[in-house]
Amino acid sequence: MTPHIQFDNVTVRYGDQIALDNIALSVPEKSILGIIGPANSGKTTLLKCINRTIDFIDTARVDGAVLVRGENVFRMRNVYALRRRVGMVFPLPVGLPMSIYENVAYAPRRAGLHDRFGLDALIEKCLRQAVLWDEVKDRLHSLGTKLSGGQQQRLTLARALSHQPEILCLDEFSIAIDPVTTMKIEDVLLELKKEMTIVLVTNLVQQAHRLADQTAFLNDSKLVEIGDTKTIFMEPENKMTYEYVTGGFG
Amino acid sequence: MIETKKKDPRQSNPDVRRYIVCPSASGEGQGAMERTFASIETALAAISRENEVANAADDSNTGGEATLALDLIDKLEEADGQRNKPRYRFFYDTHLMGSDGDGTERDPWPDLPSAVAGMTELHQSGRLALDPGDSILLSRRQIFTSTSLERRRKIKEAIAQYVFMAMSLSLVVPVVAILAYLTYKAWPVLSWDFLTLNPQSRMTAGGIWAPLIGTFFLVLISLLMAAPIGVLAGVYLNEYARDNWYTRIINLAVVNLAGVPSIVHALFGVGAFVLAARCGESLLAASCTLAVMTLPVIITSTREALAAVPMSFREACWNMGASRWQTIRTIVLPNSISGILTGIILQVSRAAGETAPILFTGAAFYLKVADKGWESFFPYGLDDRVMALSMHLYTLMTQVNNVPDEIVYGTAVVLIGLVLAVNSFAIVLRVYLRSRKKW
Repeated sequence: MTPHIQFDNVTVRYGDQIALDNIALSVPEKSILGIIGPANSGKTTLLKCINRTIDFIDTARVDGAVLVRGENVFRMRNVYALRRRVGMVFPLPVGLPMSIYENVAYAPRRAGLHDRFGLDALIEKCLRQAVLWDEVKDRLHSLGTKLSGGQQQRLTLARALSHQPEILCLDEFSIAIDPVTTMKIEDVLLELKKEMTIVLVTNLVQQAHRLADQTAFLNDSKLVEIGDTKTIFMEPENKMTYEYVTGGFG
Repeated sequence: MIETKKKDPRQSNPDVRRYIVCPSASGEGQGAMERTFASIETALAAISRENEVANAADDSNTGGEATLALDLIDKLEEADGQRNKPRYRFFYDTHLMGSDGDGTERDPWPDLPSAVAGMTELHQSGRLALDPGDSILLSRRQIFTSTSLERRRKIKEAIAQYVFMAMSLSLVVPVVAILAYLTYKAWPVLSWDFLTLNPQSRMTAGGIWAPLIGTFFLVLISLLMAAPIGVLAGVYLNEYARDNWYTRIINLAVVNLAGVPSIVHALFGVGAFVLAARCGESLLAASCTLAVMTLPVIITSTREALAAVPMSFREACWNMGASRWQTIRTIVLPNSISGILTGIILQVSRAAGETAPILFTGAAFYLKVADKGWESFFPYGLDDRVMALSMHLYTLMTQVNNVPDEIVYGTAVVLIGLVLAVNSFAIVLRVYLRSRKKW
């Protein structure tokens, strides 16, 4: 079976600086890939390759191929369709300067969904999935930017789900959320795994342990090791990986 | 050690416990004064003794007076006389647990016994130079009062604030003075008629309707050309352009265009619009010249307004599959429109006030236009020459004889009033739109 996402010897440079060095990995469909690694190891760059938002960085140059369902994303004509197939959540919450409702309705509207009832149902579903519905259901038309940081982050998650992606990329989503909500969202992710493939970049090693089917360890732009989460955490091949997951790194 | 310059706290604070050192007195506790000592050593010893007594009674180290004064005098009779400022000020602070200090305000002794020990040591090593009339002040440092360093900083802060405030106030003075003077001189003619009547009797009577409406059309047409081009160029430069040599050349051109003197714009207008484009000296040619002049500023202000929208908004939209144009239309423009509009409106006043660019390209000294009816609202065709307020003012001042002063000043008042009104409108608009800002 073709893997859902596949990196074929991907190298990314920002000017002269190498951000990803010859990365090869694959993610099977409907699974969770956890990516762990210290700061500046290329985790976010890896995510940006999947939906090609790396295009927006003028200095970036990519070699190799990223395949989504066997298709090279860098050869795709319709990059907007690709981005709609990939949901993306970045570490800092971004509430767009419009109502909560419009925040979530943004992508469906751009994709041509204008049916009132369809939108209402979709928005409720996304907000429920992001564990935000109960807190905002009575004020859907107040400003999204006036929510608290944690709520805005869940709004960002709801927005990422609003275009019904088949891949969900999360870049340290829990950085601005309290532990209780984090646990709730983690449950949601396990639920979402039945519908989509999830790539989870996290600084919380235990979060990867809890959620991921596969875990990849990146260090210094290189893929040190990838394997079943159990293997990575119990008996990794690489000594560095062992030290990182047990907290003795550095 | 601090050689103090501060106000003597003994004057304001009656709670100071005084120890008087008078070498001519023989014993201790003599005479009228309760605490009089023959030497500094005995005084210091008495301080620590009294402290121990107080501690035994109170069992708290924080009790007792905050300030002790050691006064050195020649004769007992002078004990109540005026004092110099204290020569030395020392501090102790019982909230500092056990740390050592040197008695300064920044680094006080931790308690009274160590303060006494410290002062004794200083005295014995001869570092306390005391003359009759001098005194030492030992204070408990207050936790929530400022140290001398903080007080100095506060004074500097206040000075800086007042200097800056005075400078900005001095900006207001010329504006008010000019307005007041002009209004005073123009008072006799200022009326509705002055605005709505055409100049009469070789411009020595009547009003300023013809130049007023001319200026209106010049500004309107020039902005109709400059605003769309400027805004769209600003959007391109801020949202689409990559940082390459092509963009850099455009930026350089914009900056240089903004720096061109207006009389050079006038010559360019003559060459490009009057002659090459065969517009002749006309409203159209003059408006085009004004448009070229205002264009770079509109581009720059548009770019600044767009750049004020956080990058993260754009990234969020791109990540959801929105194209650049969708992002601009739905997020960037709605949230930067206030800045863009303000930039354009401020150019209204600039275009209205400039004389040089229209001097050779279409402005007329005097034109006879319709006095009444709808024709008086559209007196100039695109290919006609026009009168303009700024030009009219120049003409009245230099070219026409026997013009009453009031009419000249009245024209100036209307011109400056227009500019101020437009600027105020821009400010009000910006405040209103900013109050609706959504992040």
